[in-house]
Amino acid sequence: MSSKDAKRFFNSGAKKGEIHELKQELKTPDKSKKKDVVKKVIAAMTVGHDVAPLFPDVVNCMQTDDMELKKLVYLYLINYAKTQPDLTLMAVNTFVKDSLDPSPLIRALAVRTMGCIRVDKITEYLCDPLARCLKDSDPYVRKTSAVCVAKLYDISPELVEERGFLENLKDMISDANPMVVANSVAALSEIHSMSGKPVFDLNSQTIFKLLAALNECTEWGQVFILDSLVDYNPKDSKDAESVIERIIPRLQHANCAVVLSALKVILKFLRYVSDNDFKGPMMKKLAAPLITLLNTEPQVQYVALRNINIIIQRHKEVLSSNIKVFFCKYNDPIYVKMEKLEALIKLANEDNIDQLLLEFKEYSTEIDVDFVRKSVRAIGRCAVSIAESAQKCINVLLDLIETRVNYVVQEAVIVIKDIFRKYPNKYESIISTLCENLDTLDEPEAKASMVWIIGEYADRIDNADELLETFLETFPEETSPVQLQLLTATVKLFLKKPTEKPQQMIQLVLSNATQETDNPDLRDRAYIYWRLLSTDPEAAKDVILSEKPIIADDTSALEPEMLDELMNNIGTLASVYQKLPDTFVARVRPMVQSASSFNPEADVVENGAAGDVIAEQSAPVDVPDLLGGLDGLNVSAPAPAGDAPAPSGGAPDLMGDLLSLDVGGGAPAPAPAQAAPAQPAGGFDPFGLDSLSAPVSSMPVQQTELPVILAADKGKGLEIRGKLERSGGQIVYNLSFRNTTAGVLDGLMIQFNKNSFGLLPGGALQVPALQPGSSGAAKLPINVNVQGANPAPARSALQVAIKCSQLGVLYLSDTISLGAVLTEEGRLQYPNFQQMWQAAPPANSQTQVFQVAGASQDAVVAKLESGGLFCVGKQMNAAHFSGKLVLGALALVEVAMQPGSPAVQVTCKSQRVDLLPLLMEFVGKTML
Amino acid sequence: MGFWFSKFLQLFGEKEARILVLGLDNAGKTTILYRLQVGEVVSTIPTIGFNVETVQYKNIKFQVWDLGGQTSIRPYWRCYYPNTQAIIYVVDSTDVDRLDTTKEEFHAILDEEELKEALVLVFANKQDLPGSLDAPKIAEALELHKIKSRTWTIFKTSAMKGEGLFEGLDWLAENLKK
Repeated sequence: MSSKDAKRFFNSGAKKGEIHELKQELKTPDKSKKKDVVKKVIAAMTVGHDVAPLFPDVVNCMQTDDMELKKLVYLYLINYAKTQPDLTLMAVNTFVKDSLDPSPLIRALAVRTMGCIRVDKITEYLCDPLARCLKDSDPYVRKTSAVCVAKLYDISPELVEERGFLENLKDMISDANPMVVANSVAALSEIHSMSGKPVFDLNSQTIFKLLAALNECTEWGQVFILDSLVDYNPKDSKDAESVIERIIPRLQHANCAVVLSALKVILKFLRYVSDNDFKGPMMKKLAAPLITLLNTEPQVQYVALRNINIIIQRHKEVLSSNIKVFFCKYNDPIYVKMEKLEALIKLANEDNIDQLLLEFKEYSTEIDVDFVRKSVRAIGRCAVSIAESAQKCINVLLDLIETRVNYVVQEAVIVIKDIFRKYPNKYESIISTLCENLDTLDEPEAKASMVWIIGEYADRIDNADELLETFLETFPEETSPVQLQLLTATVKLFLKKPTEKPQQMIQLVLSNATQETDNPDLRDRAYIYWRLLSTDPEAAKDVILSEKPIIADDTSALEPEMLDELMNNIGTLASVYQKLPDTFVARVRPMVQSASSFNPEADVVENGAAGDVIAEQSAPVDVPDLLGGLDGLNVSAPAPAGDAPAPSGGAPDLMGDLLSLDVGGGAPAPAPAQAAPAQPAGGFDPFGLDSLSAPVSSMPVQQTELPVILAADKGKGLEIRGKLERSGGQIVYNLSFRNTTAGVLDGLMIQFNKNSFGLLPGGALQVPALQPGSSGAAKLPINVNVQGANPAPARSALQVAIKCSQLGVLYLSDTISLGAVLTEEGRLQYPNFQQMWQAAPPANSQTQVFQVAGASQDAVVAKLESGGLFCVGKQMNAAHFSGKLVLGALALVEVAMQPGSPAVQVTCKSQRVDLLPLLMEFVGKTML
Repeated sequence: MGFWFSKFLQLFGEKEARILVLGLDNAGKTTILYRLQVGEVVSTIPTIGFNVETVQYKNIKFQVWDLGGQTSIRPYWRCYYPNTQAIIYVVDSTDVDRLDTTKEEFHAILDEEELKEALVLVFANKQDLPGSLDAPKIAEALELHKIKSRTWTIFKTSAMKGEGLFEGLDWLAENLKK
């Protein structure tokens, strides 16, 4: 891309024009110019511009005999096919044609590109060309197709099995061309790991073919073949021997991956060899290639060392006579040094320990702290694992303590503790030396180790009580491992020397550890000791001073099963991580979780005991329409609760069809027009009509307790709270469920009976399975279907049916607060209001007087405005309000009051007479 | 530059034309395209997508786009409408059952704003097969008489035998020159 082009593409201001310009340019009939334009498109694509709108135009350039242009178009397709799955169909014919092209390059390119386009719609068309290309006369096409089968398997395993591509791949193992063999093997093992079932059965015949191809194919092909050979289990010792013989030459390969894979196969097959005359020399042969790997650059060395550390854990004999290659060079990177050290520890034995100790001692004087620490630990680990060397190791450690280097001393203390554990009553003479260095200890682990030593040998250390006392001074500030050790050590001291001073100490410690701490481990241990000591000191002695189990050095040892598995994964990432492959790669692609489209903010709501007052009223009232239709519900199909619901109409489909419920019309009408964004959220009568005692305020909805609409005893143990509310221009049913049954409740579904305002659930109820005693909340969006509304007279009742997989159908009755069904667009212009007010016939008007203590006009206006009625005009003694219901009906309200008088006269007018009582009730409640 | 070059060629009587071959699936569009291009019958499979070939005939370079006729592909025909000089609409004269469908698709194409200027050439194809309707019957079925203010004609053709195709091209060549 020229700099001029770059400038144009980075200039985002002209982006739209750019696409348009390219679109026009792509229409040029001139081939060479067309290629330049497509190049520009690709350039734009690579710098991250979205050139997807050019898709049809680029696809139209696809049929060309210009290889370069074709490749560019294919590149574009691979990138954008996913965004335009439908239009990708237009490319299919060209792919099919190209897969029949006389040029093998184009045939292979077509098949490869088709495999990379992961669009379901075109996969079925891919099969015929793929089947053809698998049998192509050209090996390049065949090997490309082999890989394509694996790609197809990832998209659609069924198609691969249906079309017999697996059999084709297996046949291709016998292909004359080694590259085809290698790629088929690679594809088969890929499919094998994707499907998790054996698709690739190795037998002596296929093995023979693989071994034949091994010598001729490329290095990476060899790796594929070797990696799949690991899965073969030889029939007998002879079989294994012959395979090993064939693989031995691979150990000389320059590519480390080939060497490691070959090693892996040989080590596996050696297990089947019974002939020790074969096995022994063979093991010796493995040393040289491993050592060669250590002459590479540090990064490769690291990989080799990680693998070697696995191999020598199982086969120490391979490298035990070559420890010198693992001696660290001063300029080795730290990660290599650490691995070498690890290998040295593993390879240590009685014969080489002297040499190793010298080496470790030298490492302990290096400058890198981590390396020094690990070296000191190495000495300790050798002492623990090789009994004969313990004394020598102790001597070296003592020498190191002499250096007085803080971190060396601390590490030494830690490992000496382990040595004491392993060889009790042997080396206690050095305790005095350790005690000289108490002051230098500042790390928790070292401190804890030292405290342990003092406690363990309290009877031999004359001033043990004094030593512990110095530690106890800082008891509250210590970390919890140190505190635990201090506690135990003090108890041990007390048991061993029950004199006066330890007695004081123990009281101090126990009270500290039980009262001053919030660490439960420490507190509990202190209580146990306390009780043991106070009830039976002899038993305490038995417990606390009991024999300890023998320890062994297993710092880096792997479980045998794990080791087996890793031995089979040598040369892979698993061996570098030293973790099982399943723990860091998902072999089988996980299902894509469908994002829940509703109630992202749904949260578990704490349910208190409040709301009982209202409970009686919310018991199921009369449900004539529902009862008839819902009878068949228990035999209905299981609820697709886990599925993402269709954004609208999901619930009516779900239940309406099943129940032949009268939900009125098919898809519910869309929610009322979007609200003015400035509307205060949650300000619409947050307490239902029935909650008389509730104060009217514009508190945030989330903080208010939802009224109980179905008490637990009426709902077979499921308590439901809920309220219809208006927020953000939409009606939302805030629901909360509490499970008081003993079992899990799930599969909750909801349906409304036909109601006066045409309210319908706008989606499926998304409530997680309710564990016994737990609660779950949901915000159910509500749609309004005006046609589906019950005809007059309007009633505020909302009959709700809730189905639960365990409890069957529960019926309840809620009330629809007008606050929820008043839209945000109800504000009229005052002249309009006046006109309508005067035009309304007397029959459409209702007047009532309320007593509102301390009423002021401003307060009433604020309350009604927050309830969804808009103040359109204020006069001296009267205020006028307008509102619009979701049904489209207008509500006109006049509130007249005399200053100083609690009497408020409310006049309501509406074109729907039946709404007037509801409106009046609403105004009355809202004003209070 | 390509544009100028084609202008330049036009001065010498050489002309380029973009032609769309449309019609329901299995009407014979691809067979017609290759009959025109290579002069022989090639075996075809349903076109999922498109074919484009250049046919040189009587000093005119026809760039012929053959689009698949499957229901799934028809919605994408419109991507190809801009700058089209002529449409060859191919009808399977033996497919009596789908005459209504083909009529609807045909008129939908005629209503397209981008194709207002395009010549319309209808091929009543598969005349070699028994039971095929002749050109006037196809014209009637497609309600060709309803076409106003547009140059159109209908030819009976057989892609298998190669009959009628070049007559159609002759007509196109004649009318494109105007």
